[in-house]
Amino acid sequence: MSKVKVLIVDDEKEFATTLAERLSIRGFETSAVFCTEDALALIHAKNIPDVVLLDLKMPRMDGMETLMEIKKYNPAIQVIILTGHGAGVPLAGIDRGKHGAFDCVMKPADINDLTAKIKQAMEKRQAILGKGEDV
Amino acid sequence: MKKEPGWIKRVFIDSHEYHKTMTSPERYRRFRRTLFLVMAITFLIPLIMTTWLSYYEYRSSMLSNLRWNAESATKTIETFLSEFQTVLAYTASGYTYEELIDQENLKKVFRRLKSNYPGVVDLGVLDHAGIQMAYAGPYDLLGKDYSDRECFKVVIANKIFIGMVEMGYRNVPHFCIAVSGFTSKTGQSWVFRASIDVTTLDKYIGNIGTGALSDIFLVSWKGDPQLQSSSRYFGAPLSPYPFDLPNNRIGITISEETSVQNDVVMTAVSYLEGTPWALVLLKHGYLYGKDWSFFKARLFFIVMVSTFLALLVILRITNLFVSRIREADEKRESMLAEIEHTSKLASIGRLAAGVAHEINNPLAIISEKTGLIMDLLQISDDFTHKEKIASQIKGTYDAVERCKVITHRLLGFARRMDVSLENININSLMREVLSFLDKEALYKGIHFELNLGASLPPIESDRGQLQQIFLNLINNAIDAIDKDGIVTLTTKLRNQNSVQVDITDNGKGIPQEIISHIFEPFFTTKDSGEKKGTGLGLFITYGLVKKLDGHITVRSRVGVGTTFTVILPTKTKLRRRTFDVESKGTDS
Repeated sequence: MSKVKVLIVDDEKEFATTLAERLSIRGFETSAVFCTEDALALIHAKNIPDVVLLDLKMPRMDGMETLMEIKKYNPAIQVIILTGHGAGVPLAGIDRGKHGAFDCVMKPADINDLTAKIKQAMEKRQAILGKGEDV
Repeated sequence: MKKEPGWIKRVFIDSHEYHKTMTSPERYRRFRRTLFLVMAITFLIPLIMTTWLSYYEYRSSMLSNLRWNAESATKTIETFLSEFQTVLAYTASGYTYEELIDQENLKKVFRRLKSNYPGVVDLGVLDHAGIQMAYAGPYDLLGKDYSDRECFKVVIANKIFIGMVEMGYRNVPHFCIAVSGFTSKTGQSWVFRASIDVTTLDKYIGNIGTGALSDIFLVSWKGDPQLQSSSRYFGAPLSPYPFDLPNNRIGITISEETSVQNDVVMTAVSYLEGTPWALVLLKHGYLYGKDWSFFKARLFFIVMVSTFLALLVILRITNLFVSRIREADEKRESMLAEIEHTSKLASIGRLAAGVAHEINNPLAIISEKTGLIMDLLQISDDFTHKEKIASQIKGTYDAVERCKVITHRLLGFARRMDVSLENININSLMREVLSFLDKEALYKGIHFELNLGASLPPIESDRGQLQQIFLNLINNAIDAIDKDGIVTLTTKLRNQNSVQVDITDNGKGIPQEIISHIFEPFFTTKDSGEKKGTGLGLFITYGLVKKLDGHITVRSRVGVGTTFTVILPTKTKLRRRTFDVESKGTDS
């Protein structure tokens, strides 16, 4: 079984790279980018991740716009909002249907909770792909 | 440019001192005094003016009436005297001196004259030396010498004379009217005179209607004033008249005299032309059937009673008005203090949320870095000090976790939340909350007492937030008491629109000096051991209660215990209202 591909998008480089490394230790195939433009470029280059860990507040293009862009391009990609901002939790929760985020986790996140959520998101992605939806 | 305060504001409120002494007793005393004075002046000035105008109109009306009566009486008497003078002069010119000194002729003339003028007492003819040469009348006055009498001297000089009332040779009060002429033979002067009984004047004057309590009479103005006719108040003719006559001899002079029979009287005096007399019309304050002094007394009584009642009403209104203002000021001050407090808490909350957010990112980095080190330690081989390093890293990681709890709670308080409203049975909710705490209570030996009100109406609110509120408060109560303490939960209907929940512990209580700070963030008394708190519990509870349109208060006595009271509306005004105090413009 191939590894779950996780893309971490966060302008805090130290955080993104460290988290990527920790997830790698836990068996995920991770990559980290530090701006939304790079994330979208990666996805557009057909380098499709299974799950995206997306920060909300980033320079130039914020996380919500990026989320919508990703979902527009490939709805099967599961996005978990990972933010230090207080508004993130309810926003993602309430507007989940509208924006399509899988869940929202507040920083600093417990690594075990995070890996559990990534796995759940992956299950959802597989369910979607299994139904043969257009991805 | 600063606008100057209006006069009302300057009078009532010293704007500089207003906020300093907003509810000071002196301010209200001053306000009450000023308000009373302004209202009293506003009321009393029209009352006094109306009274004065009524009095003035009454007096003017009375004086006009008096003047009119005096003028009328003067004309009547002057007409009588003028008519008699004319008759006397006409008679004198119709006869020669020689014819008139004939006694028989004079008696005929006398009878004719008396038939028309019954008041004529007698007639006489004086020669140029003042000797009465002929006489017709009831007295024996033929041959009497009048040469030294004023009447003889004046009539020779002035052709006509009206004399003062005197007793004379007749020894009865009378006055004489005389005219003079010249004999055709010798060209010497002679005098034709008539005496008139004073009763004639009395009858004439008595016919002039002046009112029941009035008096009208003639007074001599030569020498000391004497009555020239009978007076109701001053007696018979020739009695002294007690008042001075006015110097003004033209027209009617009206004055207010001193008491006559213990009453103030008004007098109208008119000098009769060509006579030594002045007509005096005297009236008690009398008009339209009302007594003058009675009128004044009644007017005074009405003014006094009106003033007394007005001052009484003004005093009551002023007190009521000032009390209401004072109550409103106190309420406003209390509300301002509460708003200030709420605003301060909101500002602190906003600041704390901002700080928490900013801290979260570096905290996340520390958390991930320490986590990675722990991961690496786990998968690496043993090496020197590995255990110690792992222990230190674990300590760091735990500290980060503690910080995380604080920042997450702060952000949870500050974050935007939609309220989920439902009808909640407050008693059921309290039992739910207690079920979370059963084990802890059992462990600490704490006993819960429930006084849950019967038939409480459901309240419209957010279940999750209510749970958090009561969980926080009961946790606080548990922390405040030692083993075997009692926490009492009471629910009751406060009024038709609200429900009250009291959470009482029998713990050590909160000192007064810190009770006003307990809803502030990071304020905690749990500063030791396992009870160490974040200082956010009551802060968040306060915010949640306010958000649900509720009200929270605390009462405490050191050594006795503490009661937190939460009042919740049965129908909230909340309709998906958001509570947004999140920071803005900060990066992730």
